[in-house]
Amino acid sequence: MTAAIRRFFDHDLWWSFGRSPLTVAAALVTLAFLLAALFAPWVAPHDPFDPASLDLLDAFTPPVWTERGDPRFPLGTDDQGRCVLSTIVWGSRISLLVGFAAVLLSATLGVALGVSAGYLGGVYGAVVMRLADVQLTIPGILVALTINGVARTLVPRELQEDAAIWVLVLAIGISDWPKYARLARGTTLVEKNKEYIAAARVMGLHPLRIMVRHLLPNVIGPVLVIGTIGLALAIVSEATLSFLGVGVPPTTPSLGTLIRIGNDFLFSGEWWITLFPSLALVLLVLAVNLLGDWLRDAFNPKLR
Amino acid sequence: MALLEVEDLVVEFPTRHGRLVAVDGVSFSIEPGEVLGLVGESGTGKSLTGMAIIGLLEPPGRIARGSIRLEGQRIDDLPPEAMRRIRGRKIGAIFQDPLTALNPLLTIGRQLEETIRTHLELDARAARARAIELLREVGIPAPEQRIDAYPHELSGGMRQRVVIALALAAEPALVVADEPTTALDVSIQAQIVQLLKRLCREHRTAVLLVTHDMGMIAETADRVAVLYAGRLVELGPVEAVIRRPRHPYTQGLMGAIPRIGRRKGRLVQIEGAMPRLDAIPPGCAFHPRCPRAVDRCRRERPDFVGVGPAHRAACWRVEVEAVS
Amino acid sequence: MSAPPLVVVEGLARRFDVSRPWLARLLTREPRRFLQAVAGVDFAIPRGTTMALVGESGCGKSTVARMLVGLLRPSAGRILFDGTPLDPNAGRKALAPVRRRMQMIFQDPYASLDPRWRVEAIVAEPLDAFGLVASRAERRERVSELLRAVGLSPADGRKYPHEFSGGQRQRISIARALASRPDFLVCDEPTSALDVSVQAQILNLMQELQEQLGLTYLLISHNLAVVSVMADQVGVMYLGRIVELAPAAELFERPRHPYTRLLLDTVPDLEMRRRERAPVAGEVPSPIDPPPGCAFHPRCPWANGRCRAERPELQPVGPARVACHAVEEGRLAA
Repeated sequence: MTAAIRRFFDHDLWWSFGRSPLTVAAALVTLAFLLAALFAPWVAPHDPFDPASLDLLDAFTPPVWTERGDPRFPLGTDDQGRCVLSTIVWGSRISLLVGFAAVLLSATLGVALGVSAGYLGGVYGAVVMRLADVQLTIPGILVALTINGVARTLVPRELQEDAAIWVLVLAIGISDWPKYARLARGTTLVEKNKEYIAAARVMGLHPLRIMVRHLLPNVIGPVLVIGTIGLALAIVSEATLSFLGVGVPPTTPSLGTLIRIGNDFLFSGEWWITLFPSLALVLLVLAVNLLGDWLRDAFNPKLR
Repeated sequence: MALLEVEDLVVEFPTRHGRLVAVDGVSFSIEPGEVLGLVGESGTGKSLTGMAIIGLLEPPGRIARGSIRLEGQRIDDLPPEAMRRIRGRKIGAIFQDPLTALNPLLTIGRQLEETIRTHLELDARAARARAIELLREVGIPAPEQRIDAYPHELSGGMRQRVVIALALAAEPALVVADEPTTALDVSIQAQIVQLLKRLCREHRTAVLLVTHDMGMIAETADRVAVLYAGRLVELGPVEAVIRRPRHPYTQGLMGAIPRIGRRKGRLVQIEGAMPRLDAIPPGCAFHPRCPRAVDRCRRERPDFVGVGPAHRAACWRVEVEAVS
Repeated sequence: MSAPPLVVVEGLARRFDVSRPWLARLLTREPRRFLQAVAGVDFAIPRGTTMALVGESGCGKSTVARMLVGLLRPSAGRILFDGTPLDPNAGRKALAPVRRRMQMIFQDPYASLDPRWRVEAIVAEPLDAFGLVASRAERRERVSELLRAVGLSPADGRKYPHEFSGGQRQRISIARALASRPDFLVCDEPTSALDVSVQAQILNLMQELQEQLGLTYLLISHNLAVVSVMADQVGVMYLGRIVELAPAAELFERPRHPYTRLLLDTVPDLEMRRRERAPVAGEVPSPIDPPPGCAFHPRCPWANGRCRAERPELQPVGPARVACHAVEEGRLAA
């Protein structure tokens, strides 16, 4: 057991990781967000969604370092008296949840279609890839908006609010599968011609078994890399949709919703309501992106 | 004076595990017009030696010690610009894969002319005439038409001939050929080997032939140097080394090569495997696999012992033959 | 020995469609184009012996190998294994008992093993695929036995392929191929990617295993010297056909077909007899558009009018079979 742990940390990946201070910083930031989101109830100073704890008199308090600031609300409050810092912590939770779930959906769908299209080829493969090509010509946001709209008409009114998050996940997830499918298919085409696949075919293994047990593990690596960057994109997509008003409901706001709410007050002087959620979003997306970049470069020499 | 003199060459690679020594104190010389074979299996550092001589050693690999002299002048410590001028003019190179050695976007004529005009003072027309002449020399049929062909329009064998033409374009004194026929069919290999031999004889060009193929060495080389784990273990006239190898590794190697005319049966095999660069044993690098190893071999790295005229081997256990 | 041969191949052929895409052809009214990779091949391999197919790239030897193990369907001809014809239309389940008895070893030791699997899983895969073991303990025992048989240690089962050298990986490939206790092994250039000293070890191992286990081999190679030490019978292929088929000793002592002579002439002379070689000019023509008549005639010093027009068939000449008009007509001393 200890030998395995030692081997894990001895891996080349950590060596290249340690050598890039930017990557280490990005990882720490991401980790901070993840922990904050996970432990939101304990990390946030207040619960901003409990109407009972809110006091309208606290509304529009500026950040603590300004003149009228209140140490109870380090980053100020919004129009309802909610602590901005707390809303950011809780909002990140939603953003990350939707992001992860959407990427999981995209990746699963994309990999399944991509690997099968690559291995089986023929008409099936051609149809799948043309579908992917067509969908790629349509901006992702439009696809997500469409799916969102369609889903909302199908979901009965009473369930709309609870289902909102899952509709969002579905919308963003489906809008992004072509990327993963293309990558999975490309990798499959390369691996398909290698002799270990031929050896499996000589043994008479069922194609499904070959795809799952041989091709899938070899596809996961590159997929993980673009999945990380995809996470950043999913978060931005969710923020965009929420900003447009078709994302999560205001009762469980994400970072995007917060930015939208704050936008109304931007020009009347209460700049902090929109600025801090925006900064948080930028920071999170940047950190995840950098992490994804490093992962891609770290994987490359191994693939050579 | 020898054309090329390599003395105590050491090529290293810094890695996070430490410094890996890929070429460990290799010394040899090449006379003008001579063909020296540098033979060894994979991982022996023979390609790196060739690269170091051409000056194309890729960082982080670097020459850590030793010297390389061309016509008496040191070339291993030259700045890149000076090295570039020597490369191509005095040293030509032939690499293994003709497909990647030629620029796919330029006609072979353009590539030849470019090399010719870089190193020789010729105008465009004279350069083209010389290019056509070179193509004729390497056996490309109808060179006046073929000169405007693109590399992908030629077969593998033809491409390698063009690569040879490129290497000889500036009349270099030395050509370094790294596995020049490995990527070709066997019948083409024979043609290319003959061509190389003839051209180098006619142009008085020396050749450093880096290969794992003893057969090609037997056909082409005048002398041969055998490498093992980055060290030179035997050096001598090709007939002596092949017919009467003296180092246990060379003996094992010659025994392991299958030959036509032998019936179905076992080959001589050397037990074990070549050590990895980060796990080279102390003393003689070959001792764990050597049937004649004794205690001294385990402790001390062997010096060279003369075993015949211009023939030496690095081994404590070699018997010195009486010259007969 | 009057036992029937283990493998018999009759009129085996394979054609590849290399036409341009349908739309392009429609617009330019081009006909379909075909590549006849294998154009009718016949041979028989007696049990316990090694047959070698030699030739240069494009001669179709690898295609023949792949048809034998079921990686490619033959376009024509049939294969008999242990007396029974193999039906290419039979399902996977029906063919499983035959598949178990024939396995393949590949050329590239770096691509033959799944890089994500441990060696134990790789070697045990045929055991699982054919349902040959009943318990995990039995599986582990059999894997250890196989690793030992190829000169590795059972502890190597825990490692991954990238921790091994090329020669060791080839041993793992052999262990995997032997797992299902096959009778017949197709070996596609098994040592071409290996160093000379490692090659000697692997070839010796293959011979030992053949003696111990009574294996039958089909060896595909472009290296005549390797074939010389391994084969009992040799077939020389050129552009999809066998041009000479003979017992190994006979072929190397008295090569008859001009192409066989050419190939033997290109083998470097390690005995250093310094003979002057004049290698035959030309290269292997493209299989899409082969020359008419005898495919070798453009490169053959003995070609005449008949060779340019009529394709020669394999005729018995002494203990060998040769497809050459010059030999048949006595113009070329055989």
